[in-house]
Amino acid sequence: MQAQNKDRPSAEWIASMRGQFQTEREIDRVLTRKLERRAGPGFAPLALSTLVTGLQAMLRSRLDRPFNIKEARWLCGGASKLQMAFTLEWQRPGVGFERTPMVLRMEPAESIVETSRLREFQLLRAFEGVIPVPTTFWCDVDAEFLPYPALIYGFSAGVTKPATATSGVTGLGTQLTPAVRAQLAPQFVQHLVAIHRHDFTKSELTAFDMPAPGTTQCAEWGINWWDRVWEEDCDEEVPLMRVASAWLRRNIPVLDRVSVVHSDYRLGNFLFTEHDMRISAWLDWELGRLGDRHQDLAWTTSRAFGSVDVNGDFLVCGLMPEKEFLEAYQRASGLSVNPRTMHWYKAYNSYCIGVLILATSYRIARNGKTHQDVLVTWLIGIGGMIIDELRSLIEQGN
Amino acid sequence: MQMRPEIQIASVIKAMKDVVIPAIDPANKLAVEQSQLIIGLLSLLSIQLPLWYRFDRDELARLLDCAKALQGVPAGDAATKPALERLRHSGAAAATVLEQCRVEPDSLTASVRELREAIGALVKAVAGTKDLAAQLGIERIVLAMSKDQLIRDRSFVKMQGWEPDPAAVPDIATLLPPV
Repeated sequence: MQAQNKDRPSAEWIASMRGQFQTEREIDRVLTRKLERRAGPGFAPLALSTLVTGLQAMLRSRLDRPFNIKEARWLCGGASKLQMAFTLEWQRPGVGFERTPMVLRMEPAESIVETSRLREFQLLRAFEGVIPVPTTFWCDVDAEFLPYPALIYGFSAGVTKPATATSGVTGLGTQLTPAVRAQLAPQFVQHLVAIHRHDFTKSELTAFDMPAPGTTQCAEWGINWWDRVWEEDCDEEVPLMRVASAWLRRNIPVLDRVSVVHSDYRLGNFLFTEHDMRISAWLDWELGRLGDRHQDLAWTTSRAFGSVDVNGDFLVCGLMPEKEFLEAYQRASGLSVNPRTMHWYKAYNSYCIGVLILATSYRIARNGKTHQDVLVTWLIGIGGMIIDELRSLIEQGN
Repeated sequence: MQMRPEIQIASVIKAMKDVVIPAIDPANKLAVEQSQLIIGLLSLLSIQLPLWYRFDRDELARLLDCAKALQGVPAGDAATKPALERLRHSGAAAATVLEQCRVEPDSLTASVRELREAIGALVKAVAGTKDLAAQLGIERIVLAMSKDQLIRDRSFVKMQGWEPDPAAVPDIATLLPPV
């Protein structure tokens, strides 16, 4: 049998991927779209003026009063999306004339994590007034106006790390002082509790499918998602990833309660204002889903997102020891933490990151699909550490 | 190991062309010239890298032929004899090395990839059965192999700074036995 050329996937092969791995409908849509466009051109540098022109066309279709786009500039940070900051001078409905600082967040040709702008938009909107999030404005779901799908939200003031802190790319490995930790850690726990306890049934979450509680559907959709991405993107086979997939399916947990799950809840994905040490915005909701709170708890406690203090003790997201973090969460939420489910989701999350780092990063950098292939290539280096943690979790779970 | 030189070089060249060079002040002639030289050298490296081994082997074969021919030249001078003797020794050693260098590095990489595929396919196949004992037996062996391999993968990129406790990861040179 001839191997499939993953850089030029056939329609039959795309259909076979869709058939083999049942996921949420919107996840299926974006993954299918990715494959259908893969043989197309790589990412070419975009001028700010191109984005401004697209944005103008979009706003003309959404606003019935004159407006001006001012101070357009690139933002850096993160490894997955392009971001342009700008100021919109407009007649804001219900407010009047306003100069509103905004951010346009747009996909490259292919991203290190292929996700739905509509899901991200809907989750941000669902949490306005619940926890600090940027105010959402518009979404170009199918790239009708802009070169690629994009969303527009309010600019939030703040930093991802103290001006004096050191860290690696994407905020990983940030070292915080005890004083900073003491002020951020309680908010960090409180906001996670608010996400998991939020009554999402009143929000418009049409881009999400809700898994049935009391079943394994939630976890199955998750494994199918990442198994599919592994098949679609990997170049070099990694036998451990096959072991991990089999182990996850053999030990699959039952969902006890459906929560909104942020799925990338960690240091580096929130902004805080240094003058008062308040968290000002939670960002990067693109992996969010309706699912199991243990997914967030396990993600947040990953070794990859933490750091070691001066005594050599591991700190969750550089903020607090894991035991202290979980106790505070349970106290504030009244929700239980099942150690077996927690362990399963730690393995699941490591598997997911392993897929993104070892398969997707390689595929998109090789095909020149992003605005920062050099960063994506750099990130491949963390793959060994991630899946060694996965190996260790599987051994502990047997 | 997925983070191979080819993809590293390609992504650095793209970053230079798409982001760094357009941002250089055209008045800074030294920076403009050296940025182009960086692209040039990296592009040259990407062409040469897959051929270096073959290039060196080819040269060694030619030098060996040359050495044999040189030993056939009648030269009995006292000053020449030690040099000829040295050439004879070096030629014999080189002939042994050349004989041993009969496999392309690509063949080694291809074998690694093929065995990864075959082992992965076995894990996937047994996972679809009800034979739990076989699943656990195969997993145990793959987990043990992965443990040994992953410490090498981690060590190979240690300078990137991912490890929370770098001292716990041995240096790569201590983990790779001599060929």
